[in-house]
Amino acid sequence: MASLRAYIITRILLTIPMVFILLTIVFFIMRAVGDPVTAIVGAHAPPEQVVRLREELGLNKPLIYQYFDYIIQLLRGDLGRSLIWGKRPVIAEILDHFPATVELTISAFIISIIIGVFLGVFSASSYGKPLDHTIRFAGIVTYALFIPWFGMMLQLIFGVYLGWLPIGGRIDPKMYPATITGLYVLDSILTWNFEALKSSILHLILPSITLGIVLSGVYIRITRSSMIEVLRQDFIIAAKARGLPDRIIVFKHALKNAFIPVLTMMGLQFAILLAGAVLTETTFSWPGMGTFLLERIQYRDFTTVQGTIVFFALLVAFVSLVVDIFYAFLDPRVRY
Amino acid sequence: MGRFKFIISIEDWLRGEILVSKAVKVGIPVIILILVVAVVAYLAMAPTPPPAPTPPPSIVMGTTDKISTLDPAKAYDFYTWEVFNNIFQGLVKYKPGTTELEMGLAESYTISEDGLVYTFKLKPNLKFSDGSPLNSTVVKYSIDRVAKLGEDPSWLVTAFVEKVEAPDPLTVVIKLKKPVSYFPALLATPPYFPVNPKDYPPDKIVEPNPPTCSGPYKMVKWIRDVEIDLEANPYYWGEPPKAESFVIKFYKDATSLRLAVEKGEIDLAWKTLNPVDIKSIKEAGKLKVVEAPSAFIRYIVFNCQSDIFKDKLVRQAIAAAIDRAEICEKIFYGTTEPLYSMVPMGMWSHKDVFKEKYGAGPNLDLARQLLTQAGYSEDNKLSMELWFTPTHYGDTEQAVATMIKDQLEKTGMITVKLSSAEWGTYTDYLTKGVMPAFLLGWYPDYIDPDDYLTPFMHSKYSYSIGAFYNNTECDKLLEEAQIKVSIEDRTALYEQIQQILAEDCPEIPLFQGKLTVVTQPNVEGVVLDPTMLLRYYLIYKT
Repeated sequence: MASLRAYIITRILLTIPMVFILLTIVFFIMRAVGDPVTAIVGAHAPPEQVVRLREELGLNKPLIYQYFDYIIQLLRGDLGRSLIWGKRPVIAEILDHFPATVELTISAFIISIIIGVFLGVFSASSYGKPLDHTIRFAGIVTYALFIPWFGMMLQLIFGVYLGWLPIGGRIDPKMYPATITGLYVLDSILTWNFEALKSSILHLILPSITLGIVLSGVYIRITRSSMIEVLRQDFIIAAKARGLPDRIIVFKHALKNAFIPVLTMMGLQFAILLAGAVLTETTFSWPGMGTFLLERIQYRDFTTVQGTIVFFALLVAFVSLVVDIFYAFLDPRVRY
Repeated sequence: MGRFKFIISIEDWLRGEILVSKAVKVGIPVIILILVVAVVAYLAMAPTPPPAPTPPPSIVMGTTDKISTLDPAKAYDFYTWEVFNNIFQGLVKYKPGTTELEMGLAESYTISEDGLVYTFKLKPNLKFSDGSPLNSTVVKYSIDRVAKLGEDPSWLVTAFVEKVEAPDPLTVVIKLKKPVSYFPALLATPPYFPVNPKDYPPDKIVEPNPPTCSGPYKMVKWIRDVEIDLEANPYYWGEPPKAESFVIKFYKDATSLRLAVEKGEIDLAWKTLNPVDIKSIKEAGKLKVVEAPSAFIRYIVFNCQSDIFKDKLVRQAIAAAIDRAEICEKIFYGTTEPLYSMVPMGMWSHKDVFKEKYGAGPNLDLARQLLTQAGYSEDNKLSMELWFTPTHYGDTEQAVATMIKDQLEKTGMITVKLSSAEWGTYTDYLTKGVMPAFLLGWYPDYIDPDDYLTPFMHSKYSYSIGAFYNNTECDKLLEEAQIKVSIEDRTALYEQIQQILAEDCPEIPLFQGKLTVVTQPNVEGVVLDPTMLLRYYLIYKT
């Protein structure tokens, strides 16, 4: 246990410089690409207004002072205020958009696991047969799919031609459920609003399937190779010899043992899931963190972009930390 | 110790070594069954609350534009101004389908002989959408607030207005710093729109959500970048909107917008579909496409103090070599029109001065002749840099820059290097004079030729668009045109200024945008005009 505690402490301490380096890179890159004040007020603003705004935002100070102000502000837990429009606190802006991303990523995550694990299992249990080759090929194709293209194809087929599903947004106009968690599906259930529930589920289907299928490629490959290995082991042969049905052998005995690498991959996929969500959100006009970040980059809203990336970085760092600690519990070999 | 055991048991479970007892095997389904029965029983017995009222929206419009901020003292972008024009109103407003002004909240107005004092009589019993009064004090408060806050659009007030008075509840007196012939056009812009003091405090920018309104529609909900819900304003003085409610849905890109209108998710798609999408929608013939000339113009700007372009002959040579029609046809599929003046077509005083001077198409002989006069030849080519910004004006910008490069290089005496920068950097470079020649676009602040000439040709302002043009005679003519009241006098002056423009070429007009709205076949009432404001309150379904 002492060793485990030491591992956790070391792991947490290592996260700090990682986040710090990332914050520094973001700060300097953001300032290397242009003057935010001109971008905000436009080229036609009177010079005195430009000077006033520059002072107001602290952009008149030397870069190094701006950097320390930024770090001190972050240490206080303050992500700053947006530079544009209503100048709202960045954290409030993030909280407005984060639930949409959470809703999308959770459903896409579930879909990717279901598709990935099932196809991986089928592929492994038909090892060397045409089904195996087909699924392996499908795995490679899904892994290489370009989200905006794939999303658009689904929009065209299921949205425009068949007319079954909505192609963009989170819910139909004027159907918003009362906000409790910000997750429309959950909020619709909690507020007993079944029209909103139906609409939000329908809107969730295409984006989640797009992202889910793209991410499933990895799970297909991992599950397949892990299952092939497990299916060759003695206890499986013994189970077969005992006359157990294949279904029981594969799903009950083999899959349980083949699942650890899949679980590992789930943790590693988290950052990729967020990155994929950015593209999916843009394709489906999904008002989450991805579209929000892209939009604010275009407006060169420095503080918001910085704040959002800091938020993402902390989130990924936190999830990696939790996943690593979880493995350390599971597998005593994981130690420094 | 208990926690330790728990951990071990997870480990064992994952390794498949844990043995599930028969009791657990039976117990779990039983527990699940009990829970399901309990939930179903609860659902059946619990009183069902009435479903939330969700009436179907009358009109749903999609756009890729964005709202910047819901404060008229701060917002300075075209789309937010369009929404303001549907939920607020000025003392005067544009008559739909024209660029003529008509009375808005004011019943009438008079101008003093010296052109310095405008006296407005408000319509009686004006109210905001919450029933609170809209009187002269509110008008004065709103204009003073814009000036005091000093945000981006405030110059539209502070550059012209000396003071505003409210001698009685129905009278507004606006005193100007100097006579301005186009002042009524300024009054039709949002910085002059009365706002409710309850929503908008005097000393800070706010975003009331929703604000109380004074226009045909009132806003009932705004979710940034997602949706705006408008409903008929019960206190509006004029004719009620044609549709009881109007929803604006925001899309992330032109492709999603196109798919949404094709699927029928929205009744109309407005600003901005890709030219290629508009072309294929037209060809498919299933949806209605409404088009009208807009007041949006594109042009090349020269830094007239840069080494190469301080020579007028070089600028003229480029003006002669450009083929506007090719850009409009091959890149924009006819969704733009060639433009031969900075004053857009359809606006009074417009003259095709560049066409008169250099011809309609590329005049390569003239271009070569001018370049030779400037000291260039096929052996001693003019080597220039042309800048563009890749996304701000849409995905077509790179193609426009490349086509201009090809057109100029056809003279055989010019080599063009293309450079690009993102919008923030671009605007920075522009004012610093970094870019010798670059592409730019202009949406008007107010609908008057002055807004298309003064910022570009007056030495006091041309630095702000990166031209650094200085011509004392031109300054004088522009200032004179600003104070003349007679439209004939002003037309004569602006025609003279346009001749100087074609002669000096500080900017070369390229093309003028068209407005395009794609609607479902049953949508009527779409009125487009050069103000580029879509009047939501006129749109309805049959």
